[in-house]
Amino acid sequence: MTDSKTPKSPTRREFFKTAGLGAAAGVAAGLVSEPAPAQAADAVPQSQGYRETEHVKRYYELSKF
Amino acid sequence: MFGRWEASLQPDQTTQPLADEDQTRAHVYALLGRLLTSAPDDALLAKIAAFAGDESEIGQALTALAATARNLDAPRIAAEYQDVFTGVTRGEVVPYASYYLTGFLHSKPLANLRGDMARLGIARAEGVVEPEDHIGSLCEMMAGLIAGAFDRAIDLAEQRRFFDAHIAAWAPRFFADLEAAKSAVFYMPVAKLGRSFLAIETQAFALIAADQAA
Repeated sequence: MTDSKTPKSPTRREFFKTAGLGAAAGVAAGLVSEPAPAQAADAVPQSQGYRETEHVKRYYELSKF
Repeated sequence: MFGRWEASLQPDQTTQPLADEDQTRAHVYALLGRLLTSAPDDALLAKIAAFAGDESEIGQALTALAATARNLDAPRIAAEYQDVFTGVTRGEVVPYASYYLTGFLHSKPLANLRGDMARLGIARAEGVVEPEDHIGSLCEMMAGLIAGAFDRAIDLAEQRRFFDAHIAAWAPRFFADLEAAKSAVFYMPVAKLGRSFLAIETQAFALIAADQAA
């Protein structure tokens, strides 16, 4: 395989739907789109996904006490 | 402070947009990582309290978590976090891969994890002293691997290798222990969420081989 990403399979996608991951989608996304209060001031724009590496890195600073 | 790490290599400039199901996977890992790393603050609790899940096992766990978040406040949960994870000499549960797999902290599983972190471009942030094989850190790493936060895009086969090497052999047992912990009230539905989600992940990873042509 030369692609860096495995092609998305319908079977896997279907499995996630029947397992209930779709229900979890809106829930979890609503939590992770906001940066923690303790973070640096820059507002994180809503992005469609994890295309923005900076966005994701800032999110992970939520662990900071 | 757990789970703070950063990319030690340049991120992939051509990261493809994430499929919906992979976005959700990353979000759930991130939520678990956040809650297992430290107790939630009021703002996060308010968001959790608004959850509504469906009838699936994971949906029911989310609904139960929301109900618990409505009934407990942040200081109460912070105290519970101490009892469950920290204690005086140790908590009711010891949330480290090394402990579950060998009976000791700082053992071979941690060394293996550090090797993979170096290979995948995951570096622990400065000032973090706790061992990286904490369940919260591992969840955060999975979220980052799925989202492509560290280095080149990590494909499903690589995600599965990481999952199998560092999570699969012990984390389901850990979540079962967490669910049964006497002090766990908020962390009981967190444990249900972890257990049901890892079961989904395990079954879904098994579908990769079935879908790939030789």
